[in-house]
Amino acid sequence: MSAPVLEISNLSVRLPNDLKVLNTVDLRVEPGEVRALVGESGAGKSMLGKAVLGILPAGLRQTGRITVLGQALDQLPASVRRREVARHVSLIPQDPLTALNPVRPIAAQMTDAMVRIHGWPRRKALARAADLLEQVHIRDVARVLKSYPHELSGGMRQRVLIAAAFATEPKLIVADEPTTALDATVQREILRIIRGLQQETGTTVLFVTHDMGVVAQISQRVTVLFGGRVVEHIDTEALFAGAGQGHAYSRALIRATPDWTRSDAPFAPVPPEVIADLMQEQTR
Amino acid sequence: MTALISVRDLTVSYPDHGARRLFGPVPRKTILHGVTLELPKGRITGIVGESGSGKSTLGRALVRLVRPDAGQIIWAGGDRPVDLAPLDEAQLKPLRQDLQMIFQDPMSSLNPRQKIWQLIAWPLRRYGLDASRAAACAALERVHLGAAFADRFAHQLSGGQRQRVGIARAIALNPQFILADEIVSGLDVSSQATVLTLLQDLARDMNLTVAFISHDLSVIRHLCDDLIVLNHGRIVESGPVAQIFDAPSAAETRKLIAAVPLPKPDAEWLT
Ligand SMILES: Nc1ncnc2c1ncn2[C@@H]1O[C@H](COP(=O)(O)OP(=O)(O)OP(=O)(O)O)[C@@H](O)[C@H]1O
Ligand SMILES: Nc1ncnc2c1ncn2[C@@H]1O[C@H](COP(=O)(O)OP(=O)(O)OP(=O)(O)O)[C@@H](O)[C@H]1O
Ligand SMILES: [Mg+2]
Ligand SMILES: [Mg+2]
Repeated sequence: MSAPVLEISNLSVRLPNDLKVLNTVDLRVEPGEVRALVGESGAGKSMLGKAVLGILPAGLRQTGRITVLGQALDQLPASVRRREVARHVSLIPQDPLTALNPVRPIAAQMTDAMVRIHGWPRRKALARAADLLEQVHIRDVARVLKSYPHELSGGMRQRVLIAAAFATEPKLIVADEPTTALDATVQREILRIIRGLQQETGTTVLFVTHDMGVVAQISQRVTVLFGGRVVEHIDTEALFAGAGQGHAYSRALIRATPDWTRSDAPFAPVPPEVIADLMQEQTR
Repeated sequence: MTALISVRDLTVSYPDHGARRLFGPVPRKTILHGVTLELPKGRITGIVGESGSGKSTLGRALVRLVRPDAGQIIWAGGDRPVDLAPLDEAQLKPLRQDLQMIFQDPMSSLNPRQKIWQLIAWPLRRYGLDASRAAACAALERVHLGAAFADRFAHQLSGGQRQRVGIARAIALNPQFILADEIVSGLDVSSQATVLTLLQDLARDMNLTVAFISHDLSVIRHLCDDLIVLNHGRIVESGPVAQIFDAPSAAETRKLIAAVPLPKPDAEWLT
């Protein structure tokens, strides 16, 4: 078996007040896998993505090990680490507006990274940018390349960021809720595109989402986080099989998901007793 | 059923920099083409449509963040109906408290140096309401954030926690109308369920009229009373939500409904 693309062991991240936002997390993602990372708001999903990219907010302390493509990132000098991460790992960030520079046109923003990382001539980078924008179903590529972020709709900005993530030909993409602002039609297109690009390039994807419908369609395995800890790693098929597989908490997340085909069965937040049981389990 | 807001033949355009020529004025691109709709008092109206169809533009026109090129936006929330469309900012000022909005990430435009309770208190003070820490904390409680969050800063909250602050900020003002643009798309399913239930309860208790923009049709189906489907800046279908889901008449609506990812794996779905 080939080495995992991403291996995290015993990772903890502490706030200045010593509170742990990630707590002894273990995670192993195989090449070509799409791994869903789910959990409630504040569970630490984005924090885990940031730790992988080495962009934790200042003042947070990290312990444990993160290995990408067999390289222990934390052992590398900061400058080497930054270069290695930029070359192999891309982020599709959670917030499409603040992730783009408001005063630079899309073309410049998309090509900068390609030029910097691979040393490609700007013409080649621009052609690749245009090609990727077409692949994410941007209708008016020439206009979008000339546009500034505020001139694009939310969904267009998010598609630009997805195209930009694949532009540098990464081995691993951390996608932090990449389709949340998209309409259902485009979301489906985008998930197809991510899956298509992912299968074509063999890129591994760590897919952060709160949408259990998306989890069911895109991932092979699911990691469930609660309060900074891993609740379980489970095969997607098993989790949704409905035969009592999976942790009670994971099943409650599925029941919290609205499903328009079941207008009689309303969704409900995760029941407090499920949370209480889980917290007790975690402190054991 | 009386309408709180009636929109007639609304046309909105933006400057089109992509089509800019060397000389002359920047050409404009029409986004909404003569849209007519009613937002019934005390009801939640969903607005759906594919990306770029003009949902946010329509929302921004309803709360007069953009100025329409043509058409009327009749506001029936005061003593007598007024057309919001031609008003300037000074004329809009007394109406603003009643026209609140919540966006996908309401905190990104706010002062990062202010504590959460101050962010909530600031608009309260602007409208001459009780702007104490206690009043702000009461609003936080209503969105299930404890007083422990009052002294944090926006960057110290997760995306979901921030969104609840955005809702607290809007409802603290007791408005008649709330525009909610993709407000649950950053939330996990559990707090999404909480927020939707909360919004539904608040809307009922406060007799709020809500325009709810969302790409999630399952959410729309469970939350909204009425639905408007936009396509390329035109309304292609509108009516009670149950009726539209049971028998969608527009092809665009059927396409949107078919694209909803349901929480059960389906090998066909991505092919
Ligand atoms: N810069 C920061 N300083 C201190 N605490 C932070 C900071 N950023 C996030 N946190 C806290 O860390 C925890 C994990 O946050 P994170 O953003 O990883 O959550 P998440 O699982 O991505 O949630 P969401 O679904 O809302 O995006 C939360 O409790 C949050 O309040
Ligand atoms: N300030 C602006 N200047 C120029 N064009 C704009 C501006 N804001 C939006 N547009 C354009 O108007 C069209 C409609 O945008 P709008 O944001 O209303 O779409 P939307 O339906 O909300 O899409 P999404 O689901 O992606 O949020 C898009 O083509 C967009 O590029
Ligand atoms: Mg997050
Ligand atoms: Mg929008």
